[in-house]
Amino acid sequence: MTQKQRKLVRLTACAALLCGVVPAAGAMHIMEGFLPPSMCILWGVIALPFVLAGYFSIKKTVARERRAITLVAMAGAFIFVISSLKIPSVTGSCSHMTGTGLGAILFGPAAVSVLGVIVLLFQAVLLAHGGLTTLGANTFSMAVAGPFVSFGIYKLCLRLKVNKKVSVFLAAALGDLVTYCVTSVQLAVAYPSATGGVPGSVIEFLGVFAPTQLPLAVLEGVLTVIIMIALEAYAQPELRAVGFEEAGA
Amino acid sequence: MAHRHAHGPRSIDRLAYQSGMRRWNPVFKTVLAVGTLILCLAADRPAVSAAVILVLAALQKGKGRLPLRDYFGLLLVPLAFLLLGGAAVACDIVFAPAGDWNLRLPWFYVCADADSVRFAAALVLKALGAVSAMYLLALTTTACELVDVLRRAHLPPLLCELMYLIYRFVFVLLDMYGRMRQAAGARLGWRDFRTSCRSFGGTAGNLLVLSLRRSRIYADAMAARGYDGELRFLAEEKPVRGAQVLWMLLFWAALLALAAV
Repeated sequence: MTQKQRKLVRLTACAALLCGVVPAAGAMHIMEGFLPPSMCILWGVIALPFVLAGYFSIKKTVARERRAITLVAMAGAFIFVISSLKIPSVTGSCSHMTGTGLGAILFGPAAVSVLGVIVLLFQAVLLAHGGLTTLGANTFSMAVAGPFVSFGIYKLCLRLKVNKKVSVFLAAALGDLVTYCVTSVQLAVAYPSATGGVPGSVIEFLGVFAPTQLPLAVLEGVLTVIIMIALEAYAQPELRAVGFEEAGA
Repeated sequence: MAHRHAHGPRSIDRLAYQSGMRRWNPVFKTVLAVGTLILCLAADRPAVSAAVILVLAALQKGKGRLPLRDYFGLLLVPLAFLLLGGAAVACDIVFAPAGDWNLRLPWFYVCADADSVRFAAALVLKALGAVSAMYLLALTTTACELVDVLRRAHLPPLLCELMYLIYRFVFVLLDMYGRMRQAAGARLGWRDFRTSCRSFGGTAGNLLVLSLRRSRIYADAMAARGYDGELRFLAEEKPVRGAQVLWMLLFWAALLALAAV
C-alpha cells in the first residue's frame, strides 16, 4: 500500500469506529419524559427502600461524628465528577464512566444509593443527563442495582481469593453491564414490542445500546483497576478513612 | 474552554446565573416547570408537546435572554439516547417479514409499520417537551435556590446539607482536576490511548486523595465557624407577581384545551 492508500484506509476505519462509539455520550441515563408517568412512580417506589436504608446509615454515621459530613459530601462530589469526566477513547469521541462500581467498592453500596440520588439530580439539572421524572428509574439502575451487584461481585471474588485487580475489574465492568441491562428492561417494560412483548423488546433495547455499552463496560473496568492501583500505591490512610480497608483486604 | 457547545457542568450552571429569569421567584419557577412537565407527560399528545417546546423556547429567548442556538444545542444533549431509544420503540425484531418496512439481516428481520413509527415520533416529541420543561428550571434557577426550594418542601435537613456541600465540592474538584489534566498534558500524558488510560487512572486516583484531604480541611473550617449541622444562606426576596401566575394558568388552560381537542 502506498502512504496515501494507508491513510485512506485508516481514515475510513476511524470513520467507521466513530459511527459506533460517538453515541456513547449520553451514557445510559433514561432521559426526561421518556417513561410514562405510571412507570416513573413504580420505579421510584421500588428504589425508595434502598435509598431510605442508605439515608439511615449515613444519618447514623453523621450523628456519631459530625465532621464525617464533609467526607460523605466529598464522596458524592467525587462520584459526580468521575461520571462527568471525558474518558480516553480510541476515536476521540466523548464518553463517560458511570463511576458506580468504583463508588460501591470504595464507599459501600448503602452510602452510594443516597449519594446516587443526589448525583443523579445534579446530573439532570447541571448536565441534562437523565431527568426529574425518570429519577426513580435511573436511581434504581445506577444507584441501586449497579452498585449492589458490583459490591457483591467484589466481595465474592475476595472470598474466593481471586486476584484483587481481577476482582476490581469484574466488579466495575459487570456493575456497568448490569446497569445497562436493568435500563433496557425498564425501557422494555414501558414499551413492550408489538409481536414479541416485553422479552422481545428487552432484546431490541439491549441490541440498540450494545455497540456503545459493551466497549464502555470494559473500559470502565480497566480504568477502575488503574484508579485502584494508584490509590493503593499512595493513599493507604485515605482508603482506611473511607472504610475501604476493613471492608476490603 | 469552548463555551458555545460545551455541555460540561459549568455551562448550564453559568447560563442559570446569567439568565434573565433569575430574578423570578424560585418556588414559582419550580411549580411552573414541574406542572408543565406533568401536563406534557399526562396529556401525551403531539400537539401539546409541540406547544410546550415552542412556548418554552420563546420564554427562554424572550424573558431569559438565552440565545436560541445555545438553547437548542442543549435540547439536543440527549440526542443519542433519543434516536437509539426511538429506533428501538419504532422497530420490531421478527423471524418472518411483517409490517410496512423490512430490513433483512442474517437470522432475523427488523421491521417497522406506520403505527409504530408514528408512536415513536410522538414519544420523541413528548420527551423533548419534557426536557424543555426541565430546562425551564435548570437554565433559570441556580442549584442553591433549588436546594432551598427542596428544603422548604421538607426534604430532610441532612440531605439538604449534603446537596449544598456536594454542589460546592463538585466545582472544587473540577478545578483540581482541570489543573491535573493540564499538568499531565504538559508531560504528554494524553499522547495516545494507552498513556491516556494511565494518566486518567492516575489523575482520578489523585483526585480522590486530594479531595479526602481537602474534606478534612473543610470540616475544620466549618467547625471553627460554629457549624452545628445546618448551613443557612441569606436568600434574596423574590416576590411572585400576579401577572406571572395569571400567564401560567392561561398557559396550562391552553395546554389542557389542546389535550381535550
